[in-house]
Amino acid sequence: MPTYEVILQWRDGAEQIIEADADETIIDATERAGLGLPYGCLYGACGTCTGRLLDGNLVHIERARALKPHHSKEGYVLLCVAKPRSDCRIEVGAEIQADLVPNPWK
Amino acid sequence: MSTDKSNDMETQHGHHDVEGPGYSTPAAMRTESEREKTAFVMAPRVGMDTDNPDFVGVVDVDPESQTYCEIIDTVEMPNKGDELHHFGWNTCSSSCHTEGLHRDHLIVPGQRSSRIHVLDAADPRDPTIERIIEPEEIFEYDLSAPHTVHCVPGGKIVISMLGNADGELPGGFLQLDQEDFSIDGRWEEDRGDVEMQYDYWYQPRHGVMVSTEWAAPKTYYPGFDLDDVENGKYGDSIHIWDWETREHQDTLTFGEEGQIPLEIRMPHNPEETEGYVGAALSSNIIRFWKASDGTWDWETVIDVEAREHPDWDMPVPGLVTDTLISLDDQYLFFSNWLHGDCRMYDISDTGNPRLADRIWAGGNFGDRQEIQGTDIRGAPQMLQLSRDGRRLYWTTSLFSSWDNQFYPDIGEQGSLMMKADVYPEEGRLELDEDFLVDFGTAPGGPARAHEIRWPGGDCTSDVWQ
Repeated sequence: MPTYEVILQWRDGAEQIIEADADETIIDATERAGLGLPYGCLYGACGTCTGRLLDGNLVHIERARALKPHHSKEGYVLLCVAKPRSDCRIEVGAEIQADLVPNPWK
Repeated sequence: MSTDKSNDMETQHGHHDVEGPGYSTPAAMRTESEREKTAFVMAPRVGMDTDNPDFVGVVDVDPESQTYCEIIDTVEMPNKGDELHHFGWNTCSSSCHTEGLHRDHLIVPGQRSSRIHVLDAADPRDPTIERIIEPEEIFEYDLSAPHTVHCVPGGKIVISMLGNADGELPGGFLQLDQEDFSIDGRWEEDRGDVEMQYDYWYQPRHGVMVSTEWAAPKTYYPGFDLDDVENGKYGDSIHIWDWETREHQDTLTFGEEGQIPLEIRMPHNPEETEGYVGAALSSNIIRFWKASDGTWDWETVIDVEAREHPDWDMPVPGLVTDTLISLDDQYLFFSNWLHGDCRMYDISDTGNPRLADRIWAGGNFGDRQEIQGTDIRGAPQMLQLSRDGRRLYWTTSLFSSWDNQFYPDIGEQGSLMMKADVYPEEGRLELDEDFLVDFGTAPGGPARAHEIRWPGGDCTSDVWQ
């Protein structure tokens, strides 16, 4: 299995580079690296692990049920069910989930 | 009897021949129990950048104690991402005639992970994890997203489950055994056309269970999207079940008046065949009852008006997210999480609730936005009342992703636990400015705080046969 370089980028400017195998999810890889990204259900339903793919290719190995079609178009990905298919740059952190659904009344 | 002592002390049981857990009547629980000295509080960290798991906190609520208002113990879960939310006991007053049962285990589900933890809570100051039911074991029953836990007569525990194994509809109910906490299987025999689940209450003397509706986990998990409401993805109905045959019998559909009916409460008096449900989005309290011909009916008895806010494009609904009834069935309390108030209604005339008092604290409209120099992050949400009905406590977080939408500070700094003194004789509430538990300073990093329970049981845990 190929291994890819994944650059994780937080909104406060922090960056980390990890190696991720093509047969592991990004969350598995970040847990292995001790980086502590947020996650919840681990099967693509809840969106807690949402990141935004800025560059590269990922594949969802389960239906990304927490994402609506417009989220996917905007690059949002569920890192608990996403495996790398190339070197990637991903925006991560707890704030990204909050992008998915803004306050509907404000 | 049952408050802060080891729960094997909980055996003095009045006039009954058999000694079981709990109290023979709601009045016995209200008058014979001691004041709460500690609280168990669900403290999720899911969706925060703090890289730590959720925990069950023990909060000192004894004003005589040196550690009053402190989190004196934390039981961290072995995994991250659970979203501890609601929880319940292995047994309660509904089994008060069953010898040998003790209220000594807490059933603590992870709302997002679908993992269920069983805690030995015999020592209220030092609970420990005894057993874990892993998500894969639950998915085998095509269920996910555990929510309300009630112990039920017959040595069982029944948990409402909001989704199937994919986080979609339909949900159902999972039954556990009280002895070894193994999974028996599904509780329901025939769910009819019921798709959505959330909370439930039951009145065993009348053989009835009533369940409510949130949405599919994949709908509410990522956050609250109005398009999902418009597309019918959120609930607007409650369901009547035959408690004995475990079959769905009837559906009461509220439509616009009752969108997102969440917390459901029936009076503690086991003779009663009525109750109340808080419709969160419509911000109504709906009363339901069994009519003399055996059918069930409903009416809106409290309507919280949406309010204009200078910073919001649309009127802000109250968002009634929690309700409870005092053990003497005299007062109904509920929270308006978006407005920021907590209300107390006299329900002695059950169809005509009378607003007795209310407190404003935080939220989008509260005059008071800080306590003890700390910003009130969030607003009154999960409520818990002392057994004697004289102290009302609440926490201010709703659900991780919904917090992010409406009170994003909670996701960074955690939420709060607050308290009001209740004067039932006067129908009055008063904020206790000396009480504050800031989960932002929890050991191991900030946490949200959610449901509160007392060792020895409370007005949202116990049901009487």
